[in-house]
Amino acid sequence: MPEETIYEHLQKEGVSRRDFIKMCGMLAGVMGLGQLPPFEMGKTPTDLGAVTAKQVARALESKPRVPVIWLEFQDCAGCSEALTRSQSPTLIDLVLNVISVEYHETLTAAAGFQTEANKESVMEQYRGQYVLVVEGSIPSGENGAYCTIGGRSALDLLKEAADGAAAIIATGNCAAFGGLPKAKPNPTGAKGVWEIITDKPVLNIPGCPAIPEVFTGSVAHFVVFGALPELDSLNRPMPFYGHTIHDRCLRRPFYEAGKFAGSFDDEGAKQGWCLYKLGCKGPTTYNACAVMKWDQGLSFPVQSGHPCLGCSEPNFWDGGGFYQGQSAPLTRPEVTMVGAAAAAGAVAGAAVSSIGKAKKKTTDDAQPAQDGD
Amino acid sequence: MNWYTLLEFARGPLFKVAWLVFIGGMTYRLARVIFLAWKKDKVPSMGSKLGGVVKSYLKGGIVWPFIPWVKRTFSKNMVTYLAGGLFHLGLLVVLILGTPHMLAWKSLLGFGWPTLPLPITDWLAAVSIVAMIALLINRLVNPVMKLLTGPAEWLNWTLVFLPMVSGYLMTHHLINPYEKAFALHMLTVDFLLIWIPLSRISHFIFYFFSRTRQGIYFGKRGVNP
Repeated sequence: MPEETIYEHLQKEGVSRRDFIKMCGMLAGVMGLGQLPPFEMGKTPTDLGAVTAKQVARALESKPRVPVIWLEFQDCAGCSEALTRSQSPTLIDLVLNVISVEYHETLTAAAGFQTEANKESVMEQYRGQYVLVVEGSIPSGENGAYCTIGGRSALDLLKEAADGAAAIIATGNCAAFGGLPKAKPNPTGAKGVWEIITDKPVLNIPGCPAIPEVFTGSVAHFVVFGALPELDSLNRPMPFYGHTIHDRCLRRPFYEAGKFAGSFDDEGAKQGWCLYKLGCKGPTTYNACAVMKWDQGLSFPVQSGHPCLGCSEPNFWDGGGFYQGQSAPLTRPEVTMVGAAAAAGAVAGAAVSSIGKAKKKTTDDAQPAQDGD
Repeated sequence: MNWYTLLEFARGPLFKVAWLVFIGGMTYRLARVIFLAWKKDKVPSMGSKLGGVVKSYLKGGIVWPFIPWVKRTFSKNMVTYLAGGLFHLGLLVVLILGTPHMLAWKSLLGFGWPTLPLPITDWLAAVSIVAMIALLINRLVNPVMKLLTGPAEWLNWTLVFLPMVSGYLMTHHLINPYEKAFALHMLTVDFLLIWIPLSRISHFIFYFFSRTRQGIYFGKRGVNP
């Protein structure tokens, strides 16, 4: 990777100054997403516009491209697919120009030992500078034997790559929280990156898949400021995960009015009413879907008539049925357990009552004898 | 532990345990009550037992006590009757006909039913919360109520009030984030479920036993309750 600045690289690619400034404006807009209304209660947007296009332009003009090592473990490559097939070319292209993907199992043209050797040399050359992106969960069972690449376990590969990384980004729910592979009974002992790498901050960008613009926005933040954005308690970037789907849902007025679709083809569904009754997890799901949407802002699941699955939250696969109302309990007592509890209660009640009766009888029987004395 | 994991715990394992305690506890209480009165009636009745039961429900039930000139008790305890009545009405309607509650029942019972629009259940919820506060003040002020109120009654009031108020705050998004409100609501519901068999809140079942038994007595003796 040559030590040219990002802007120089873009110039070579034929990007005009005007287009470059436009892209910087877009990036600044994405990074300032957390400042969109509705604002958090009691917080006025005092630092609105803190990230300006100028700031972004200055950073991209002076900084070299960031080398990226992209590891895939127990995944479906859906996050990579979403990123490469994103219909938002200017932004994605920009970020793909800002970063330099040095290693990516699915996308790399080379194969075998050459690729592995390249990865090792990049890790050596850019030690402490490269960004490690992880896609997919890491199996911890049987010493990591459930997922091996080039004869080495995922666990081993992750630890090695994380050691020299400047920052670690876990993209998709699998890498962030274990995702689908972690679903009960979790046969491989799947874990998220931050459960394994504890000595470095891990930026989680959960989603199934992660929204490409959220990924690129977070990377851009790292490039512009040289640091990860502000994180929430689950290490997700606040600009994108600061609000729930419900907070910014276009069907929210129907929720407030108590108008719910009762099935996928009733009058309510046709009228675009709230999908809460159909199992929407929007109220507890933090993500930017309702704002950024997909396919150039065309739509997102709730807009298209499907309830939110809560794919950016931990254990979303085990978080109750997808089409079960969110107010429903996660686990219900089984009929046998209910029967056992009821039987135990009844037997205990009967036993205590008969003991009481027996005692009373003895006292009653003893009473006349005492009287007779 | 964040609010989301607490919510998962309150909606998951704790809820399950709470239900089992509730069911086991209530059957225990029921068994105790049934065994208490398990004696053969050898005395001939002077009237119809069934008639007595029907009359007992009609007169002691929903409407009768609220007609001021019928029972002196009403005019003597206006707050208890009005606030108590409104509280029970609001609680029952919200619990059964509120959309999120119906969905919870549906997952437990396997079938659902139509629900009321949110604005209606919302008003009823607000009315029951205000009624609960009125009942609390009544307990604090009324000398007779003061005498009748002990630690168990304070705990009853608190454990019933908390799920109501947390549910209301949650619906209106007055506690942020939402999962915090949800977790608090579910936790208070779990505590209430565990507490019900140990307390007089179990009257939601025993009320019907006492009404029926009183009705049988009245009918047997041929008197009008």
